[in-house]
Amino acid sequence: MTASPPRVRLALDIATVLARWFLGIVFIYMGMQKAVDPVTFLKLVRQYEFVKNPLLLNTIASTLPWFEIFCGLMLVAGVAVRGAAINLIAMLVPFSLLVLRRALAIAATQGTPFCAIKFDCGCGGGEVVICHKLIENSGLLILACWLLTGRGRQLSARFSLLKPASDAPTPVSTPSATAEYRG
Amino acid sequence: MKKPLLEALLVALTAALFAFAANALSPHGLKLGRNYFPGDTIEAHPLPGPANHLTATVTNASGASDAVVARLREKGLQVVDSAQAESLFQDPRFQQDSIIFIDARNDEHFQEGHIPRAYQFDHYHPETYLAAILPACQRAEQIVVYCNGGDCEDSEHAAISLRDSGAAAKEKLFVYPGGIKDWEASGRPVETGSRGSGQIHKGKP
Repeated sequence: MTASPPRVRLALDIATVLARWFLGIVFIYMGMQKAVDPVTFLKLVRQYEFVKNPLLLNTIASTLPWFEIFCGLMLVAGVAVRGAAINLIAMLVPFSLLVLRRALAIAATQGTPFCAIKFDCGCGGGEVVICHKLIENSGLLILACWLLTGRGRQLSARFSLLKPASDAPTPVSTPSATAEYRG
Repeated sequence: MKKPLLEALLVALTAALFAFAANALSPHGLKLGRNYFPGDTIEAHPLPGPANHLTATVTNASGASDAVVARLREKGLQVVDSAQAESLFQDPRFQQDSIIFIDARNDEHFQEGHIPRAYQFDHYHPETYLAAILPACQRAEQIVVYCNGGDCEDSEHAAISLRDSGAAAKEKLFVYPGGIKDWEASGRPVETGSRGSGQIHKGKP
């Protein structure tokens, strides 16, 4: 396998940093939307009917928005990037499946075409066309998975928590640094 | 891959601590041990969408769907229809606070427009409202609780909460499932701002 030219590596690193910031900002924004009005979020979570116990329902509705904000902040600051990305994946996958399940149930009940189904999924953006939301979530999922590759360590405070300080941010992409990422 | 997973666990633990602390400190935070949906029957939750909107399913005089009325009755709640709500509003006892209306929506919606002289009881924050409505509930002969109408369940939960806490006797509690949407659609007066603000206008039919 031949190594990518430095320009390509640099472009990939820049794109990864931008993806990290974008993902972080999206999660901070969506988390804030829910955190300022947890009652509305609580009602929306309840509608999914996957939790019946009030304590568990309240715990999910009250902590999930702050959890998203925290992970978003980690990504923006570039701290424990892969750990934060894994947590985002762990939130995105089940919630996208719940949204899909609810949308399918509504489509079956009302006989509405799937891509015409619209409701507030509790994702933080109000009422949305579910088709669009699922595509959006898939995009976010791809970005989160991309961050797992370990690229784009520039402008990160501490990319990896469990590595020695020498692994911390590198100002520019160099062949040696890139080799280290893959190690 | 082991390190990122361990890191994810550390992030999850720290994020959970942060989340619990933020919820506890937030003025909007939820009380974890409270049941916000008393009398809940999870199977009865309506699916969202056009079929559950008031305009699409008004099938009786209460201004709400038959399913909603049946669910309320099943929970031991009495229901008033649109005409009965109007008649209670016109009753002279309403002026003496023997008949009261309770708006179960949040502050923002209440300020936007409520039934004139209605009390507010957002049951998600009972500590803010209970002290004000408790004497009124004790005095009143009939209490009508309402929210938005349609698939809104806040009036139902507020009524159950008032009943179960002993704030209002079962016999005098009524739910108006048509809610403010039905009230406004009938062109009845609506008060904006706080209770007794005097800013009254006619609902838009």
